[in-house]
Amino acid sequence: MEPHARAVVEGAETDSVEGRPLEDDQLVERSKHGDQDAYASLVTRYQAVAARTAYVITGSEEDAEDAAQEGFVKAYYALDRFRAGAPFRPWLLRIVANEAINRRKARGRRPTVGLSMAMDRPSPDTALSPEGAALASERRERVLAAMREMREDDRLVIAYRYFFDLSEAEMATALDCARGTVKSRLSRAIQRLRERMGEQPDV
Amino acid sequence: MSERMRDDELERALTEVGQRLAYPRSTALAAAVRERIRRPRPWWAALVSRPLAPALLTAVALLFVTAFALPDVRSAAAEFLHLRGIDIFPVPSLPATTTGAPLPFSGERVTLAEARRRAPFLVVPDAPELGAPDDVYVDTSGATTRVSLVYRARPGITPSRELGLAALVVEFRGSIEEVLLGKAAGPGTKVEPVSINGARGFWLEGEPHLFFYRDPSGDVRQDTLRLAGNTLVWVQGEVTLRLEAQITKDEALRIATSFR
Repeated sequence: MEPHARAVVEGAETDSVEGRPLEDDQLVERSKHGDQDAYASLVTRYQAVAARTAYVITGSEEDAEDAAQEGFVKAYYALDRFRAGAPFRPWLLRIVANEAINRRKARGRRPTVGLSMAMDRPSPDTALSPEGAALASERRERVLAAMREMREDDRLVIAYRYFFDLSEAEMATALDCARGTVKSRLSRAIQRLRERMGEQPDV
Repeated sequence: MSERMRDDELERALTEVGQRLAYPRSTALAAAVRERIRRPRPWWAALVSRPLAPALLTAVALLFVTAFALPDVRSAAAEFLHLRGIDIFPVPSLPATTTGAPLPFSGERVTLAEARRRAPFLVVPDAPELGAPDDVYVDTSGATTRVSLVYRARPGITPSRELGLAALVVEFRGSIEEVLLGKAAGPGTKVEPVSINGARGFWLEGEPHLFFYRDPSGDVRQDTLRLAGNTLVWVQGEVTLRLEAQITKDEALRIATSFR
C-alpha cells in the first residue's frame, strides 16, 4: 500500500499501519456523511477488538457485547466530533471501554471479575517439554487469577498493551491521557499485578 | 510467596493469557449496530447515558442537542469566526431550564471521587467561598474528557438568572488563546489577561456567551457558557479551568488561586 501523504499535525498517528489507516479514513468520511454501509464495514473491522476490550473489563460475554454495541452506536453519533485522518481504533476503544466500565459499575462492586480462558488453545506448546508446558500453564493461571482481582483501569492498560498490541500513541488516545503518562501507567499496573500474584519482592 | 517471574517471562505469560481468553463471539455486532443506526435517533437519546441507569435529565433540557451535530452549524460557526479552513466542532449545548429543574449538563452525574478516577487531571478547588461542589458531571463522549463542578447556592454570590446556580467550574484538557477568546466576545464583552498563581488566564466580562478553545489535538472547539455572568478562564499545566459566576474579578481571582 502506498504511504499516504498527509500533513503532520501535532498528535497525529505517524507510525504503523494498524487498521489500514488509508481505508479507515475513507470509511469514516463516508460514515460522517451518513453512509451506513461504510460504518457497518468499520464495525466489522473492529468488532472483535471492541468486544474483547469490553470483555476484559466486564468479565461477562453478555455485558461485553452490549457495551461494544452501545459503544459503536455512540461512536457513530459522535463522528462529527472525530477529527478526519485520526486513527479510528483507539478513539472507538475509549468509547467502548467507558461503556464497559459503566456496565460493570451498574452491576455493583464485586471484588473479582469473571475472566476465564477458553478450553481449546490456539496451538499446543509442542516446543516445550511436559514440565515446560505445565510451568507455562501454571504461570498463565497465576497471572489470570491476579488480573481478575485488579482494578479495571490496570486490567485495561495491560490488555491494551499485551493482548491487543496497541502502540503507545494509540494507548494515549484510548486512555485519554498524555503519551508520556502511558509508560508510567503501564509500569504501575504491572507492579500491582506482581503484588497481587504474591511474588517475592525484587531484591 | 511465589517465584518472581522475569520481565520476559511475565510478558510471555500475559501474551498467552491474551490469546486464550474466552472472548465473546462478536460476529453479530455489525448487523445489530446497523439496525440501531438505521432507526431515527430519539431526540432524548443523546443524554440518557446508559440503559441500566434511570434517565438523568428531563425532556425539556434535551430538545436541541442533536441540532449541533449538523454540519451547517459547524460552517456557520466558522463563518462567524472568520476562520474558514479550520474545522470547528461544536460541543452539543443545551438551552437553560427554569430554576429547580434537573440541570442540563452533558455527561454523567457522579461523585467527586469517581470524577477524579475518570479524569485524573481534575483539580479540586479549596475555596471557602465555594466549598465542595453540589453536583459533578463527567462527560467522556467528546474528544476530551470534561468535568463540570456545579455550585447551587452560595452566600454572597448572586444565583445565575436562568439556571439559578451560584457558580460553575468546567475543567478539561485543552488550551486557550486570546485571539480565540476575543472572537467570541460580543460588543459588550471585554477580554482581560490576568495571572493566577503565575499561570496565564483571561477575565471575560459582560456576559460572554460562546467560548472557543483548543483541544489536545489542536482543533478549535466551541463551547457555550452556561451561566450568564462573568467568566474567568485559566490554564494549570495541561488543564484549562473555567469559572462562571456573577462575581467580581477580584473575587474570581481569589477563588481561582485556591485551586491546586
